[in-house]
Amino acid sequence: MEKIMVTTLTQTLPTWMPRLAFAPQNTAPRGDTLVVIFLRGAADVLNMVVPHGEESYYRLRPSLGIPRPDDGRKKKEDRVIDLDGFFGFHPVMHSLVDAWQEKQLAVIHACGAPDESRSHFKAMELMERGVDDERGPASGWIGRHLATLNTGNSSPLRAVGMGTRPQRSLSGSVPVSALRSIADFHLGGDPRALQQMRAALSTVYQNDVMGQETLSIMDTLQELDPTGYQSPLNYPDSEFGLALKQTAMLIKAEVGLEVSAIDVGGWDTHFAQGSVTGLMPTLMKDLADGLAAFHADMHGQMKNLTVVTMSEFGRRASENGSLGTDHGHGSMMMVMGGNVDGGKVHGEWPGLGEGQLMGPGDLAVTTDYRDVLSEILMKRLNNPATNEIFPEYQPKMPNVIL
Amino acid sequence: MLSRRDFLKLFTVITASAALSSCAPVYRRLAGNLPTIPWTPLNANDFLALNRLTFGPRVEERARFAEIGLQAYIEEQLAFDSIDDFSCNLQLSTFNTLDMAANELEAISNQLFENYDREKVPNELRQATILRQLYSKRQLYELMVEFWSDHFNIFVEKGSCFYLKTVDDREVIRRNAMGSFRDLVWASAHSPAMLIYLDNQANEKSHPNENYARELMELHTLGVYGGYTQQDVMELARCLTGWNVKEHFWLGDFVFKEDLHDTGVKNVLGLTIQPSGQKEAEQVIERLVEHPSTARFITTKLARRFIADDPPPELVAKAAQTFLQTNGDIKSVLRVILLDGLPLARPKYKRPANFVLSALRMLNAETNGAAVHEHLLRMGQAYFNWPTPDGYPDHNEAWQGNLMPRWQFAFELIRNEIKGTKHNLRDLLDASSTGVLHDDVDALASLLLGAPLERITRDELIDSVTLAGVAEEEALQIITASLIASPAFQWR
Repeated sequence: MEKIMVTTLTQTLPTWMPRLAFAPQNTAPRGDTLVVIFLRGAADVLNMVVPHGEESYYRLRPSLGIPRPDDGRKKKEDRVIDLDGFFGFHPVMHSLVDAWQEKQLAVIHACGAPDESRSHFKAMELMERGVDDERGPASGWIGRHLATLNTGNSSPLRAVGMGTRPQRSLSGSVPVSALRSIADFHLGGDPRALQQMRAALSTVYQNDVMGQETLSIMDTLQELDPTGYQSPLNYPDSEFGLALKQTAMLIKAEVGLEVSAIDVGGWDTHFAQGSVTGLMPTLMKDLADGLAAFHADMHGQMKNLTVVTMSEFGRRASENGSLGTDHGHGSMMMVMGGNVDGGKVHGEWPGLGEGQLMGPGDLAVTTDYRDVLSEILMKRLNNPATNEIFPEYQPKMPNVIL
Repeated sequence: MLSRRDFLKLFTVITASAALSSCAPVYRRLAGNLPTIPWTPLNANDFLALNRLTFGPRVEERARFAEIGLQAYIEEQLAFDSIDDFSCNLQLSTFNTLDMAANELEAISNQLFENYDREKVPNELRQATILRQLYSKRQLYELMVEFWSDHFNIFVEKGSCFYLKTVDDREVIRRNAMGSFRDLVWASAHSPAMLIYLDNQANEKSHPNENYARELMELHTLGVYGGYTQQDVMELARCLTGWNVKEHFWLGDFVFKEDLHDTGVKNVLGLTIQPSGQKEAEQVIERLVEHPSTARFITTKLARRFIADDPPPELVAKAAQTFLQTNGDIKSVLRVILLDGLPLARPKYKRPANFVLSALRMLNAETNGAAVHEHLLRMGQAYFNWPTPDGYPDHNEAWQGNLMPRWQFAFELIRNEIKGTKHNLRDLLDASSTGVLHDDVDALASLLLGAPLERITRDELIDSVTLAGVAEEEALQIITASLIASPAFQWR
C-alpha cells in the first residue's frame, strides 16, 4: 500500500511568536512604581498651566484665555488659581492644589520633543519609542527600561497597559498585557467548567509567554475584590478614573506592578474647546480629579511612587477662528510623587511674545521630555541605562526629582 | 515564499481526493491513520492566502479555492459585482436607515422626536457591517470596505457624524471601495461626515482651521513623509475655507459657502492656485492623488494589510508603479499586491474583527451582530469608534497582549451564550463524523487552524478536559473553544 504522509501542526504555537529571550545588563532592586499618563491628541497646556503673567497670552487668546487670578470682573471660580505669581492652574484643576501645596506635584513647562511635524501620529510614535527619527529602535522606551533592568521581579503584572491595547511605549522583549477591567478579567462558568477551560488553555498555550502570563494574571486578579474597593477620595467615574483606581489596587495588592501606562484621549481640540467650561475643561477636570483621588488614595505610599503626564506636542499659542487651537509645539509635563521637587514650575520659560514663538506661532521647547524621564529612570527606578532607553540622546538633569 | 517551518506545517494534500470539490464532501478513512475531514484540505500557503482574501474562509470557500486556484479566485473576487449576494442583502432588509439620505437620518435622530435614540443609526450601521462581513460572498470587496473605513476613519461620536457616517459609508466608502482612488478621495473630501469630523465646517477665511487640510495630506494621500510642509497645510486650509455642510434645507448635504471662502491666491506644493472658489481645493486634490508619494503611501498600507507588517519594498514599488500608471485603479493595484505579494506573505495577527468574524464564518454560525459587537468593544475594535483619524492600527504588536476578551468570546460562542448568535458543531461535523472524539478534534483543527494538531498535543488537550464523567459533547465544545482561543488561531 502506498505510504501516506500526514503532516500536522507540531504545536499550537507558531514558531515566529516572540520568546522571552533577553539578558538585562543591570541588576538592581526595583524602585518606584511608575505611572505614565499620556494625553493623546496634543493637550492645550497653555490653558492647563496658564502663564497669567504673560500679556501676550491674553492678546493671543481673547476668547479662550482664562481670566487672571486678580481679575475682579470675573467670578473667583472662573479665574486662574495662582501657583507662583506667573503661572496658575485652570480653575477646574483645583483638586490638585493639595498635592501642589504638599510639594508632591511639579510642572515642567515648555517641554517636549524636537519633532516639528505637528502630526499626532508621527509625534506620538517617536515619543513612545523615545527616538528622534523613525530609524531608531522599534520597541518602546518603557519596554527598553523593563528589558535593561533585572529587578528580580518576574510578575506578569510587572508592567500593565490600562485599556484594550498595550501602549506602544511598552513594546519590547518583555511581554506586557492590556488590562481594561479587573472585574471582567475572568472566564466565568462554574468551578468545574473553569477548571476545564483553564486546563485546555494551559495546554494550547504551553509554549506561549503571553498566554501563560494571561493565565497567571487571571489567577492573581481572582484574589482581588474590585467591587469592595474603598478610597478616601472618589475616583472620577471615567475610563481614566478606573485606570488609576485599578493601578492603586494593584499596587496595594503587591502583585509586582512596576509600570502602569494609561491613555487619556480627546485632547485634539481644534473646535469649540471651551474656556472656563466646556469640552476641554471637562477633560482637565477628569485628569485633575483622577490624579487628586490617586494622590489621596496612595498618600501613605507616595515615597515609592512617581506619576508623570505627557502629551505629543502643544497647541498654537493663538486661538483659531472656531474657538479652538491648532497643532503647536511646546508642551508641559506634570510629575507627582513623594520625591518630587514639587510646588514649583520647572523649566526655562521661552515666552509668548513677538520673536519668542517658533514656527507658525507656537510655544518653544526648552526641556526635552527625555530629560525628565531620564531623571526619573535614573533616580527613582534605579535604571542607569538611559543611553539604551533613549538612544543617541544625552540627557540633562532638570532637577525635578529631589 | 512562506517558510513552512515558520508557519503552519504543510498539510499534505491527500491523494487525488483533495481535488474533490465542495458540497457534500465524502472522505474515506484511508489506511486507518488519516483524520476524516469533512472539508477541503488546504496546504499552508493556500490556507494563508484564503485567510487574507476573506474574513476567515467558510467551508464552501475552501472548496471553491481548491477548485479554481489562487489566480482565478482573486479574479472572481475582484469582479465583485458579478457575484450574486442576494442572501446577504436579505439579511440587511430590516435595517431601514442604511439607504436614507442625510436629512431623513437627521429627522429620525432629531432630539425633539419622541422615540429619540441616538444609537439607532450607528448601531444599524455596525450590525450591517458585521452581517456583510459575515454573510457576503464578496469577501474581498468587504475587506476593501474595511480597509478604506480605516483609511478615511470617521469617529461617530463626533457631532452629527453619528448619523452622517451612514451616508459616508454608502456614498464614499462602499461606492468607491474597488473603483478609483481619485474618486474615493474626491468623494471623501465632499463628505459632510468627514468635513465635520475634521472640523472643516469651522474653517473660515481670516481664521482657518488646519485640521482637515493636514489629515488630507498626512493620512489620506501623501503620508507624513510625503514631502509637504506646515506652510502647505496652512495654504491648503485656506483653499478649503467654505467647504461646509448645509444646516437648513437639505440639511446634512455638502455645500460650498462662498462668503466663508478666502479669495486670495494660494500656493500649495509649489502650485500657484488662482482664486476660483470651490475649484481651488479640487485642483489640489487632483494634484495630491497623482503624486508619487501618494502612490507609495497607499500601496504600502495595502501591502501591510494584505501581505506583511513590513511589506517587501519591491512589491510596494511595483504596486506603486501600477497605481501611477492606472491613475489609482484600485483593482489593478490589488491584483499586483495579491498575486505578487501573497507568496511573500508574513504572519499577521488577527485584529479583533478578523478574529471574531473568522470564528463565526468557519463555524458557520448565525448572528444578528448586536451582541457580537459588544465583544468587539471589549477587544478594542468597536466599529466606527476610533477617535483619531489614523484608523485602527494595522500592525501585529498593537493587538497582541489582550487575550482575555478573545478567550471570553471563544467560550461564550461555543456555549451559545452570545445573544442572537448560534452555531451547531454537530451539524457542522455530521456529514462525516465517526463519532470518535479524536477524529472530530482533528477535523475541527484542520478547519480552524489549517491542519490537525500533532497527535501528542491533541491527546494532551483531550486528556486535559475529559474529567471523569464529562460527556464527550461537552469536551468537544471546550476543545473547540480552546482552538479558537489558541495562539495559532490568532494569526491569519
